[in-house]
Amino acid sequence: MTPKRILMAKTGLDGHWRGPTIVARALRDAGFEVIMIGMATTAEIVAAAIDEDVDLVGLNIGGHIDVALRAVDAVQSAAPDMPIFAGGTIPPHACKQLEEKGLEVFPPGSMLTDIVDSANRLTGLSETQ
Amino acid sequence: MRAKGPDDTVQACSDIPLKSYYTAEDIPTAHAARTNLAPGEAPYHRGFHPSGYRSKPWRIFQLSGFGKPEDENERIKFLLKNGETGFIMEHDRNTADHCYNVDHPEVLARREDVGLTGAVMQSVRDTAICLDGLPMDTSFGHAGGAVVQHAPFALAAYWTVAKKRGYDLEHLAGTGQSDFNLTYLGCITKQQIPTDAGLRFNADIIEFCTEHLPRWVPVSIAGYNGADTGLTPDQELGSLFANAVEYLDEIKRRGRIALDVAARGCGGVSFRASIKIFEEACKMRAARLMWSDLLEQRYGITDGRVANLRIHCVTAGSKMAYQQPMNNLVRGTLMAVSAVLGGVQSLGVSGYDEALSIPSEHAHQMSVRIQQVLMEETGLTDVTDPLGGSYYVETLTAQLVEKAWGFFDEIQSRGGYLACLDSGWLHAKAEENQHKEFMQTESGQANIVGVTMAQDDASPFEIDGFIGSDDAFDVALERLKEVKRSRHEQGAANALRRLEEVCRNDDNIMPVMMDCLEAEATLGEIGDVYREVFGDWRTPIQS
Repeated sequence: MTPKRILMAKTGLDGHWRGPTIVARALRDAGFEVIMIGMATTAEIVAAAIDEDVDLVGLNIGGHIDVALRAVDAVQSAAPDMPIFAGGTIPPHACKQLEEKGLEVFPPGSMLTDIVDSANRLTGLSETQ
Repeated sequence: MRAKGPDDTVQACSDIPLKSYYTAEDIPTAHAARTNLAPGEAPYHRGFHPSGYRSKPWRIFQLSGFGKPEDENERIKFLLKNGETGFIMEHDRNTADHCYNVDHPEVLARREDVGLTGAVMQSVRDTAICLDGLPMDTSFGHAGGAVVQHAPFALAAYWTVAKKRGYDLEHLAGTGQSDFNLTYLGCITKQQIPTDAGLRFNADIIEFCTEHLPRWVPVSIAGYNGADTGLTPDQELGSLFANAVEYLDEIKRRGRIALDVAARGCGGVSFRASIKIFEEACKMRAARLMWSDLLEQRYGITDGRVANLRIHCVTAGSKMAYQQPMNNLVRGTLMAVSAVLGGVQSLGVSGYDEALSIPSEHAHQMSVRIQQVLMEETGLTDVTDPLGGSYYVETLTAQLVEKAWGFFDEIQSRGGYLACLDSGWLHAKAEENQHKEFMQTESGQANIVGVTMAQDDASPFEIDGFIGSDDAFDVALERLKEVKRSRHEQGAANALRRLEEVCRNDDNIMPVMMDCLEAEATLGEIGDVYREVFGDWRTPIQS
């Protein structure tokens, strides 16, 4: 079976790479193909999600939630069925805003196994809860 | 990980097996003779001054800043009022680290992010607002410029404001940073000058300070930024000294200033103080010993004033948990204890809300209070190097030194520290360690209280992230227009043209950078010169 493809991008210009790199490794170990584009603007994220024909978009968020919400809106508008999940230093009020848009959110302290489970669900590899 | 029985195998973070107890026989022979030395005797693992904290308490020194320059100014004044004994200026990552003005397309695309991690300072006018009323003449100031390409601008801005206020640069005390670990390893920017241009900038700063600012720490290597990216304590030590010799070898090659003066300047460093109390305290002792041995063996420098490594510590941000954040007050306290037991000169305690946001005013205040309690109430300051002579501590110190030199040698065999950044070898090391650490937590071998055990979402743990000011971008954009409208345009253009000439030849960049700031050239215009002359660093990892 062709592996499911996940796009990973950072919405901000803050280059801490520890979190997304660890998550990408766990996803690859679980059989996913991960396309890392690093720090990207909303337009770049949308273009990459479509060009790379991915099954899931992962956003690493380290900045203001409005920047991330703009990226979420743009992806959902360009590809209404595209699932998105997010992780990073996201305070509780911002987690709530992302969840309201249908995202699964993984703040610091999340377990990699839970993130992989989420990727399996969101790409249809396991049943949705 | 908690050892459960006397025969359990327990490893220090530096992959050194720990016994359940130690005796005199465990101390390596080569180190045993050194355990009898007193503080003040080379190689200074026991500290540089026999009277330690009795004669000079550590500096309370907190990272601080967000929003508009006046927001940062207000927070710094708050910290000073609460007992901070130096001050640190944080600059906005979007603009400062990339040398962009706020009207750059990359910044415009993320305008709400502007000011979230530091104040926006695009011209000397902004820096003057941030420094308004701050005791530049009597206090030790960190001018910012943590990222390499930003450092010349940040330093020149600070010094230009000082000159305008009538202070003599010769008497100004403070520090720069231009840290390679942050710039090229831990927090990689979207655009950055290559490492060889960065080395040239740092050598220029060291030479300029030698001539004009003898009390200033020109550059400060931050082991912290390697460690919090994943390097183990022995690797943090080995890579820090591998970095230091790149600077000193370059200064020696250029031959413009005396090497011992440069070495003294490079001896203001920072380390991470993490949660394994004894290993971290041993790391600070090992660092002083290694610096003293390195200077003597590699450069023939034996002057104690030069070999006196001054250490600033920041408690590990990555050890601060998102869940039950009040537990982080305990973690911050214990990590600070490890630094104080290690005899450091300066300390910042990360905020209890570190995993959620930059520090709220209350979190910042508590970081200062933790240090004041340790300093005033606990007796930690009574005796110098209180752990000295412990079988365990002396053994672990010696083992750390040995492992750290092993890592240093490995870096040299791969072409040196810069080559190991360019190739991504150090990034791979850090990533491997991070992965191992995460796997230990995932598998239940290691616990994090409130995260993998003792979970409880109820009050009083609930806090939310701090949000700074909401008008940083708008104000910065207005001020950018204003400075360009009201400055002497030809003067700014001339200064920028001379900057480009200097960037293309071998002259020191700092005198012309001072001219640029005086002429009110802006951050983004200076960044454009760098991008034109030096191009972009080829990032070895995709973050």
